Amino acid sequence: MTDTLHAPPPEDIKTDEMFINLGPQHPSTHGVLRVGLTISGEMITKAVPDVGYLHRGTEKLAEVRGYHHCVVLTDRWDYVAAMPNNLVFCLATEKLFNYQVPERAQYIRTIMCEMNRIASHLLFFGTYGIDIGAFTPFLYAFRERELVLDLFEQICGARLTYNYIRIGGVMVDVDDKWVAKCREFLEYFKPRLKEYETLLSYNPIFMDRTQTVGIISKEDAMTWGLSGPNLRGSGIDYDARKFEPYAAYDKVKFDVPLGKTGSCWDRYNCRVQEMYQSVSIVEQCFEQMKPGDFMAKGVAKVPKAPIGEAYAHVEGARGNLGIYLVSDGGQSPFRMHVRAPSFINLAILQESLVGKKVADVIAILGSIDIVLGEVDR
Amino acid sequence: MTQDELWAQLSAAAPKAQKIDAGVKGYLTVKLAGEDLVKAVTWLKQHGFDYLDMITAVDYSSPVEVKGFVFDPNPNHFLPEGATPQIEAPTKTPGFTYRDAMEVVYCLSSLKDRLKVFIKVEVPRAAASVQSLVALFKAADWQEREVFDLLGVRFEGHPNLSKILTPEFIQGHPLRKDYVHVPDKFD
Repeated sequence: MTDTLHAPPPEDIKTDEMFINLGPQHPSTHGVLRVGLTISGEMITKAVPDVGYLHRGTEKLAEVRGYHHCVVLTDRWDYVAAMPNNLVFCLATEKLFNYQVPERAQYIRTIMCEMNRIASHLLFFGTYGIDIGAFTPFLYAFRERELVLDLFEQICGARLTYNYIRIGGVMVDVDDKWVAKCREFLEYFKPRLKEYETLLSYNPIFMDRTQTVGIISKEDAMTWGLSGPNLRGSGIDYDARKFEPYAAYDKVKFDVPLGKTGSCWDRYNCRVQEMYQSVSIVEQCFEQMKPGDFMAKGVAKVPKAPIGEAYAHVEGARGNLGIYLVSDGGQSPFRMHVRAPSFINLAILQESLVGKKVADVIAILGSIDIVLGEVDR
Repeated sequence: MTQDELWAQLSAAAPKAQKIDAGVKGYLTVKLAGEDLVKAVTWLKQHGFDYLDMITAVDYSSPVEVKGFVFDPNPNHFLPEGATPQIEAPTKTPGFTYRDAMEVVYCLSSLKDRLKVFIKVEVPRAAASVQSLVALFKAADWQEREVFDLLGVRFEGHPNLSKILTPEFIQGHPLRKDYVHVPDKFD
């Protein structure tokens, strides 16, 4: 009986390719992304991602704003993990101005970025489960993510757009109460993280739907310029935290989890394993942190940058986030360019979706983990 | 490989390349002529720089024209008529060479040697065009489209050089310094 399913259609039935729009409003595109899919039966023959619905021109906006004001713009790119965005702009500016950031501020920055990575990966973990069809993990992931956001709210008053990391240091020092609360969270979170793995990671249905799907080879991952867990899922060890250590990453020990085959499951697992590493990094930072200044001395209120260029890159939650700054000596950057990892990661979709089944589109799209605010900027 | 060794080898492979000391802080910055670009990048790719990090461009013509932004220079409506504008237009600063040119900036990484190199190609603004790198790195595909869309640099040999971030009805290239916003149906 099964043979008849694969038989070519009878000649009197007209077959045709069909065009379907995935998005712009679709819950599993995680924002306003449109993918024009051409399908032949169940197979995708062409995929054209269409981006730009959320383009706000932040690179242009930065050209009339002071350096301190630009930090506010950075929050709006990757609004799920805004701390690394703050950090990368501040790093580039500090390179330009030659500011020396105090050691305590370096540790606080590291803690904040790693906590934000946990929050961001939890969002991925939850929504990816939903994309595949597992609703329950989402509720658990958001329960814990809420606690991280509460910690951020307590320290800087905002839940998503922090503007906490400032040029020369951080906004306010962390107090013992906050540290105690954060440690309490980590103790609470560690067993939860193990629980997630039993919930989703090794669930046979989940593994069936992801382990052989969306395989990106090493060569493809390199030539498409993927970064973050997408690149490491394919087994390539590129992590800005090791490549050029910034903040306090050279003082803490951590591993970079790598995938083997580059399948959706590998990318997923990289993120889950990264959460273990983040917990360990934060704990090490708390051990090593000493009292001291949290802000560099002599940071001007209205800084005029010296003429020059600077580039800084950090390992954001989605990949290698870079800032290229050109200064003409004025009060605002002459040119600011964002190397947005989501934007560059998304480009591979036009190739990796071709030849796949319609049912796998969401699994592949979800595993790349894009934030449209960063894609469009 | 260190930066100096890389520069020694690269300058032997591409004799016309110039090292810019006042380039990107902490990284080797090399200025190339447009026709040498593909050759030099191919050489770099064969010598470990097999990861294209970033493509962007900078318009060096003048400080930014504030008419490129849709809003008026004084967005605070609570201020009286004739109050000092809250947004000041950037002015020319002495010492910086404004010129009628654009620079296309490439960043390549060597994961093995943990090195990054910046490559710059200067093109005239009126006929801004460089060779496309899509044949070498697929990562160039969307980034070149982005630079084309926002800065109007043409990439010769790109398979699909079309707008990517701005909508169809936007005229001009918004990140050029002299861009002036043309009111559209949404204003």
